[in-house]
Amino acid sequence: MERPLSPFMFPMWYRFQITSALSILHRLTGIALSVGLVVLAWWLIAVAVGGDIFRLTHAVLVSRIGTAALVGWSFAFFYHLCSGIRHLAWDAGIGFDLKVAYRSGYAVLAATVLLTGLTWLYVVM
Amino acid sequence: MDTSGPSPHVTALRNDAVLRRVRYLGSARDGLGEWQLQRWTALALLPLGLYFVASILCLASADRLAIVKWLSGLVPALLTMLLMATAFAHAYVGMRSIFADYVRERRASFLAELLLRAASAVFFGGSILAILKIFLGRMDA
Repeated sequence: MERPLSPFMFPMWYRFQITSALSILHRLTGIALSVGLVVLAWWLIAVAVGGDIFRLTHAVLVSRIGTAALVGWSFAFFYHLCSGIRHLAWDAGIGFDLKVAYRSGYAVLAATVLLTGLTWLYVVM
Repeated sequence: MDTSGPSPHVTALRNDAVLRRVRYLGSARDGLGEWQLQRWTALALLPLGLYFVASILCLASADRLAIVKWLSGLVPALLTMLLMATAFAHAYVGMRSIFADYVRERRASFLAELLLRAASAVFFGGSILAILKIFLGRMDA
């Protein structure tokens, strides 16, 4: 088991490419969202139970660190959603052309930034 | 090599002939069900996820009672339950495929699988129970 694992290939052995970076980001946001799902489950339980558990959960979520995490999770959510649509299109055999793959990659990034920005603009206003 | 093969638009997702080749002549001895589950849940999560995020945004400045009132509705309760079910299934398959790629050591991979299953069961079960409790209105204010 001395063979190098996949992450070892990037960025040492492969030239940086936006397509592979986006692929890695899809996985990273997936991991972040899995953690977020546990937090969401905890939040639902806290809402149902109420009392100190809800107050504490709410206090953590609206704290500075909590808010930063929520911003991160909203970015992860929108990125994984948009990138997921791109992956589903590939699964259906659509968009494999290299030019199209690059264009859809940039579109996913733009949509993510836009949706995350609009979301927090709504929250702030 | 068969150069006249299927068009690039034909994949295992929607063509049985391709699926059969993957299954019986390809390397896919197992895991196809999981692969498909990941795609179906992904499809379901598009509307469910957007619905839930939009709902949460509307509740951004609300207190607990407003959240409880929202989740007491039939449609929000049902859709949130469906969201938790599909999201946990999707996260389970995704995390498993990440573990399969990066966790090589046998004991570590067993522990990862155990932790993943335990966490999924506990938090999925807990969230469904929480939604049911709110929906059935047994609140201790």
